[in-house]
Amino acid sequence: MPRVVSSHRKPSLLLFLLLSMHLVLMASSVRGSRGGSLLEDTLLTVFSPFLRGASSMTSGVAGTWRRYGGLRGVEEENRRLRAQVGTLLLQAREAEEARREADRLRALLGLRDTAVPGAIAARVIARGGAGSARVLLLDRGSSQGIARQQPVITPRGAVGRVVEAAPGVSKVLSLVDPNSGVAALVQRTRVQGVLVGEGEDTCRLEFVSDEAPVEVGDVVVTSGLDAIFPKGILLGVVSEVGEAQGLTRYVQVRPEVDPHRLEEVLVLHGVEGTEAAAVPALPGDGS
Amino acid sequence: MNFAKALLGLGAAALAQMLLGQHAPALAERCDLFTIFTVYAALTRPPRTAVVLGSAAGLLQDALTGVVLGLNGFKKTLLAYLVGTLGSLFMLNQPVPRFGILFAAAFFDPLASLLLSLAMGQQHVFPGLGDLVLRGLGNGLVGLVTFWVAARLP
Repeated sequence: MPRVVSSHRKPSLLLFLLLSMHLVLMASSVRGSRGGSLLEDTLLTVFSPFLRGASSMTSGVAGTWRRYGGLRGVEEENRRLRAQVGTLLLQAREAEEARREADRLRALLGLRDTAVPGAIAARVIARGGAGSARVLLLDRGSSQGIARQQPVITPRGAVGRVVEAAPGVSKVLSLVDPNSGVAALVQRTRVQGVLVGEGEDTCRLEFVSDEAPVEVGDVVVTSGLDAIFPKGILLGVVSEVGEAQGLTRYVQVRPEVDPHRLEEVLVLHGVEGTEAAAVPALPGDGS
Repeated sequence: MNFAKALLGLGAAALAQMLLGQHAPALAERCDLFTIFTVYAALTRPPRTAVVLGSAAGLLQDALTGVVLGLNGFKKTLLAYLVGTLGSLFMLNQPVPRFGILFAAAFFDPLASLLLSLAMGQQHVFPGLGDLVLRGLGNGLVGLVTFWVAARLP
């Protein structure tokens, strides 16, 4: 308790000492150089961790605030850049499409020039089918010289035949349509048959004798006997050979050309049953 | 333990003053947390402790603000003594008189600075009356809030 009483006494002496100390400090600070005060240096040294902590805290707060402000700007910029990226991607895709289209057209032109003089390049503008029917609509028609029963091909192989031709537009029955029939032969063994569509993605080679040498992987080409397709145009590859059913056997053929992915085709005219052995299978039409 | 808590309070006041100085300089000019701390110490601590705490607060303020070392130490020591003396003579535990003390402290500070500067042959610019009133109001309001918070701390 004496300490408490003592501490409540008037601190005259203590006050005097402290004020004197401060006066001395002030006097020395004013007289000497500002950096030369030992006490000030000591105080700064003692409080430097505190200062550093405070500084880093304020820097952290300020940095957070700046980042927040920056982020608001970034969000705006992000939105703008995202829109720009979208536009550029669209342009890039368009450019890529144009390049691929040019490649395909070059291939078609090459095919037309080298093999079949009477060919009309056409673009697939629609595709459809009711039930298992598979038809394609082309942007060329009778006004461009397209007529019914003309074969339609791509550099990779046969597509189908024209079943209707109107001015400016024509309809093509693809190989996979059940109503399609193309005279065909197995390239390796020369076994002949008729390639008929199965409605989906495959065809079957009909009238193949049960003893005919046909294997999976055999290439099937047009035989030219239907007087529609030139001989030797690639139709597809044998994908399945079934057991004998009476005198014949089931031979499934997967067409080389996928009608779902077609974009440009060639319509041949004036090539009735002609030899098309010179027609090269040009790679890279993308279909 | 009490002295340690007081030092902790002093550190908090210094930190808050620095933060105010960096992010709300207008408020920092109208509110001296070292003065508020000194007044609080003088009103709630024994006179000797209050004088020592006031002296420490002034020295810390000198070290942090870069003014002549000892200037704020002298002022705060004297302020702690004067407020402590007033506290022993009058009832200063109500908000209104405390506000008055804080308001008056805003006038005492530049006045003491002026006198000390004159004594040491230093230049000193005395603030305008409007500015002083604003400082007094700032000190008073922030001080009362600080006192209210500090009284509820464990």
